[in-house]
Amino acid sequence: MAKISRLSPEQRSDLVAYLDGELEETATRQIEQTLAGSPVARHEVEMLTRTWELLDELPTMKASAEFTQKTLSIMEVPETAPPLSARPWFPQARRGAIVTAWVIGLAIVAWVGFAATNQWVPDPRQQLLEDLPVVEKLDQYSEIGSSVYLRKLSNSGLFNE
Amino acid sequence: MVTGEIQSSSPYLRDPDVQLMLRVRNGDDDAFTQLVTNYQDRLVSIFGHLVHDQTAAEDLAQEVFLRIYRARHGYEATAKFSTWLFRIANNLASNTRRSKGRRKEVQFAQGDSGAMGARPQEQILAEKSGLMPSRQMARTELQALVREALETLNERQRMALLLHKFEGMSYADIGETMEMTTPAVKSLLSRARENLRVKLEQYVR
Repeated sequence: MAKISRLSPEQRSDLVAYLDGELEETATRQIEQTLAGSPVARHEVEMLTRTWELLDELPTMKASAEFTQKTLSIMEVPETAPPLSARPWFPQARRGAIVTAWVIGLAIVAWVGFAATNQWVPDPRQQLLEDLPVVEKLDQYSEIGSSVYLRKLSNSGLFNE
Repeated sequence: MVTGEIQSSSPYLRDPDVQLMLRVRNGDDDAFTQLVTNYQDRLVSIFGHLVHDQTAAEDLAQEVFLRIYRARHGYEATAKFSTWLFRIANNLASNTRRSKGRRKEVQFAQGDSGAMGARPQEQILAEKSGLMPSRQMARTELQALVREALETLNERQRMALLLHKFEGMSYADIGETMEMTTPAVKSLLSRARENLRVKLEQYVR
């Protein structure tokens, strides 16, 4: 005689889904095999079914005769303008605003980065521009040789008019 | 008949209640009256199982319809109408329960002890469970037992169970309504029914 074993939580869950017609085909076949071979499972099915049917004993409330009219009269009370979020165009407008905000933000970040780079990183071409007067007359200055001699010549007053 | 805008990509346009709601969106109040008529009993019934009071159940149902009416301008057919309606109902039930705080314990009616005189409720029930099948139990007593068993479930278990039992919703529909996955609904309903079985098994043997 096969040993009677308790159902696992997964089997119990599958059992309920099986009773509800919500179990996929493979699992259904497995459950049906389990039911065929397990008196515990069959007892479980019977108890689940009978306790489920007890819910039919509960009294069912229905809406009163004046419910419809009362409800409709409440709708007639003037309401404040619907909030923006309730307007049909709101979801698209919000998406557009978010995209625009991102584009503007990225543009600002790019500009700040560009300005910072320009400010702090020295441009080698600028140095060349400053040295251009000297570079243009470099051949003449090379003839002279020493700048010490030039200073002495300048200080001598020889060329003062 | 006022025709709504065609959302050609929505698979829910075949739902007649979605069509009614689209007419409501376009200003057709008769369509809204039809929706109220279609769903008032169902809503009051679900809320009735939760709050056990006709007036409170009707107030909650009215609040659901009010929210639907106020949301009409922005309505889009992104689900079955019933899914959307019961999602509002589920949220409203949760909010109501949170605002009320700790719920009161459900008390058995102590008066109906019959010819044997007053005895502790547990003794009565123990004797009856052994000797008296449910069909012989007074109907009101059985209703009270079932109602108390339902009260022992948590809020989500109870709502899922009510939607499945009294609205005939599939696991997928319940998942959409309660914003859960289908496997999560399966697990939730399994626990709910197991808890129910534990509480009521002795009355069905």
